[in-house]
Amino acid sequence: MVIPDLSVSLGGLRVKNPVLSASGTFGYGLEFLPFYDISRLGAIVVKGLSLAPTSGNPPGRIVETAAGMLNAIGLQNIGVERFIGDVVPRLEDAGATFVANIYGKTVEEYEALARRLSEVPSLGAIEVNASCPNVKEGGMAFGATPEGVADLTGRVRGCTGKPLWVKLSPNVTDIAVIARAAEEGGADAVSLINTIVGMAVDHRSRRPELSNVTGGLSGPAIKPVALRMAWEAAKAVRVPVIGIGGIQSAADALEFLLVGASAVQVGTANFRNPRACVDILEGMEAFFREERIAALADYRGGLTLEKIP
Amino acid sequence: MPNDRTRFLTARIVRNEGRGEIFYRIEAIIPEPVRFVPGQFAMVSGWPGNDPLLPRPLAVFRSGGSKGKGKIEFVYKVVGRGTALLSGLHPGETLSLTLPLGRGFDLEQEGRSYWLVGGGVGFSSVFPAAAALGRRRARFEMFLGARTRGHLPPKEWTPGGKEPGRIHLCTEDGTAGYHGRVTDAVLERMKGLSQESVERLVILACGPREMLREIAAAASERSVQAQVALENHMACGFGVCWGCVVTVWDGDQTAYRRVCREGPVFDAREVVW
Repeated sequence: MVIPDLSVSLGGLRVKNPVLSASGTFGYGLEFLPFYDISRLGAIVVKGLSLAPTSGNPPGRIVETAAGMLNAIGLQNIGVERFIGDVVPRLEDAGATFVANIYGKTVEEYEALARRLSEVPSLGAIEVNASCPNVKEGGMAFGATPEGVADLTGRVRGCTGKPLWVKLSPNVTDIAVIARAAEEGGADAVSLINTIVGMAVDHRSRRPELSNVTGGLSGPAIKPVALRMAWEAAKAVRVPVIGIGGIQSAADALEFLLVGASAVQVGTANFRNPRACVDILEGMEAFFREERIAALADYRGGLTLEKIP
Repeated sequence: MPNDRTRFLTARIVRNEGRGEIFYRIEAIIPEPVRFVPGQFAMVSGWPGNDPLLPRPLAVFRSGGSKGKGKIEFVYKVVGRGTALLSGLHPGETLSLTLPLGRGFDLEQEGRSYWLVGGGVGFSSVFPAAAALGRRRARFEMFLGARTRGHLPPKEWTPGGKEPGRIHLCTEDGTAGYHGRVTDAVLERMKGLSQESVERLVILACGPREMLREIAAAASERSVQAQVALENHMACGFGVCWGCVVTVWDGDQTAYRRVCREGPVFDAREVVW
């Protein structure tokens, strides 16, 4: 039997398959070791890192909504130094390809993070979070306008030779314009979408469900929006697009590849099935075998818009 | 041999039935037996489709079986959409389980006597602790509280054993046992204890937060060790979503800790009530 070639280059990082974990849903990767061999994934994108450890938002951080969930975690994380000291050696031992997602309150913080992480030889890429909706200054302040995205990307670009991915917010008027701004700023790839800003309130207590009042919507509820935006972004830029948003199954992942994404990140699905990423990978491999498709490149971007005669 | 490794698996339901007025018990077959510490939990789902999306955390109630055929039991109360759907599943259908999860009760202390306090469905964490203490022949008493008689756990679920501990039933409407809140029964009984008995005492509690808060305060006042099993909304149950944090003391500062990972059992003095 022919083993399909699922490898793909994501802006300078060659990965063996297009199934990645999404930042913020996969911890630091090590939490999944009881469930499967994490080196099987194309790459692991770890939880967003800041310069100093961050405590995040007060409790009342998640609420389930129709076919999805809202979160306002507030980027609680161990900070870049503990990540490099404690986590990186263990990810290396596990044989995982890993990517650091970073966020800062200022552009200078992003720059410092990129410089520091560039000193880690085993790090596969840096993903700039230009899109977190849940902290006042982190991410979305830069990600909401093309100028902000281009400037942030350009400044971080100047600090690292690592493959640079920029994670985009869907909370914008035209994702194509934002994606082009990231490309012009020097991004090697763009990943999208981050969560969609939403809100849930309790009609009896008359209070918001989240301590942060608003949060980021994720899960299958957002997949159609994510798919449309991945399609628009893929048409707008030459750099690889990494599709994210509501992917629960191999079919979902294949849809993103079909509209032009080079790879996908699986997020919220990890919460309800810790094996979601490998299940999706295995499903994708089975699909390519059944359809006798030899390589990912033969399928990717193959969406046909012509009417069936 | 059963092992305590965390795993994600598919279970086949063999029984899922209502008991008494508000509780359900679900029993399922799993590939291998699982060993758990009382107070540990599982993430449980099984209804079809994406809505509701997330599995529900349930305390592991009982486990058993032999090589190649494990058994697992949960008890639950219908509180929302997820548990309502769970109650509609039939024998032969499947459950998705991630288990065992979290940090359970510390029951391995020599020369102690234990009070186990369960409010509402909180008995689901407390009974496994009673069963474990019974097997060890440790001394314990159990306090079970409910709003009314029909909301107490069914008698046949009470752990037996050679030396079952003394059980104090409490109902807020006085329809069974002590007339009042379980907290008040605990507080009254504590008043009558000698200093010597107090020093040997360990309280393990699971129930509504207000109940736990009062137990914690009373325990703290007399320097009694208290371990509380907390609940919270969870997305993942194994430490990656960071959604289930509670506020705890970290020296003279406060910090956020995950109920699923650093808990669900916390030292009562640690929790910022």
